[in-house]
Amino acid sequence: MRLDRRMIGLLILTVLIVGNIYIIGIYAPIERTMGVVQKVFYFHISSAWIGMLAFVVVFLCSILYLWRRSEEVNQVAVASAEIGVVFISCTLLTGPIWAYPIWNTWWTWDPRLTTTLVLWFMYAAYIALQGGGAAENRRRFAAVYGIIAFINVPLVFFSARWWRSIHPVIVSSEGMNLDPRMKTALYASIIAFSALYVHLAKMRLSVLRLRKRVETLRENLVY
Amino acid sequence: MNGYLRNIKVVYFRDLKQELRGLDEFLSMVVFGVMLVFITSFAFQLTDVDTSRILPAVLWVTIFFASELAVQRSFAREKERNAIDALLMALGDKSVLFYAKALANFTILLVFGVIILPVLWIFCDVSLRGVNLWLLVFSLVWGSWGLAAVGTMLTAMTVQLPNSRLLPILMFPLLIPLFIAVVRCTDLAILGVTEGALGWVYFVSVYDLLFSLLPLILFEFVLEG
Repeated sequence: MRLDRRMIGLLILTVLIVGNIYIIGIYAPIERTMGVVQKVFYFHISSAWIGMLAFVVVFLCSILYLWRRSEEVNQVAVASAEIGVVFISCTLLTGPIWAYPIWNTWWTWDPRLTTTLVLWFMYAAYIALQGGGAAENRRRFAAVYGIIAFINVPLVFFSARWWRSIHPVIVSSEGMNLDPRMKTALYASIIAFSALYVHLAKMRLSVLRLRKRVETLRENLVY
Repeated sequence: MNGYLRNIKVVYFRDLKQELRGLDEFLSMVVFGVMLVFITSFAFQLTDVDTSRILPAVLWVTIFFASELAVQRSFAREKERNAIDALLMALGDKSVLFYAKALANFTILLVFGVIILPVLWIFCDVSLRGVNLWLLVFSLVWGSWGLAAVGTMLTAMTVQLPNSRLLPILMFPLLIPLFIAVVRCTDLAILGVTEGALGWVYFVSVYDLLFSLLPLILFEFVLEG
């Protein structure tokens, strides 16, 4: 029964991702001035979205951990941070692919770029602080760090924004200025990426739970 | 409240006294700072960069790296002597220890900055004319306090871990906003430009205030058990 449910989940995920690739590749029109390289934008935005989402999850789990001290909550935070760092890496890698032909540079110190990079550093530090999460104090420290780091994100953004900005603004106060088919493609890829996030988080969590169980069993065997 | 402040004062002076007794550690930090300043300004001399413009960047990079040495000491000393529990028992409130340590680190960093700045000034050959002294003092004082606050909070964690080399990895990403702001402040101070300085002054103040108040809630969890 459990296996069946997992298979269905996997099937839905596959359909979503394949459909997403079709929508991005065939359905969405090719941008008039930027050409085909603009299509990287769908992956770029969706990865950034997952990176942010994962960071919010880490923040909420950190508060919850300090409050309730549940190991489960900490495992969710760890899984989220690990997936977050992967997707933030995707954002940082897909950005330059687009930026080089369009901006004529691989990297600039734009606030969004700077913030994303700092976010990546903080994720890495968070995971290093967890250090496998075996010791109770490491989990506690990581939770404290997760909260401080989250509060730090807007500070990084605004300090970098006052300094300089050239990033294109897709979502402004007047709404999104995109072709409707491009909008569909963007939504589709955000949905597909979110499903991927949920799936990866579930997989990672089950591994963490198994590891915990092995540790407990081993301890019981020794004593 | 009076007792709270008095406790901070007592621990603060105790820490400074310890620092004075083991002055060689501070001196080695100063030598490290002067060397860093020398190497960086020298490296820029070898290229075609206008060295009169690099002062703010080199100054803060030096203070940031040296701060890691300074803050790491403050809790490592207590750990060596197993004094943390005794201190907490005597003080009652954990945040007292944070503020006293942060203030001590702040004082050390400020003295360090005051020593480094003239050396750097001479190496970079910056003109003294038109310098906005108030802004310069502000950036040095508030920059050091922000560094001390964040550093003290994090070093209290890393000192309890077997691998305490984590400190720079944890510290520097959190300090990025402060770094941007104080470098801008110092730069504007040296150029004598007041336009746009106020925004950065506010920014540094908000950052410092935030990281001074957060430990009031979170430091409790750092020194638990």
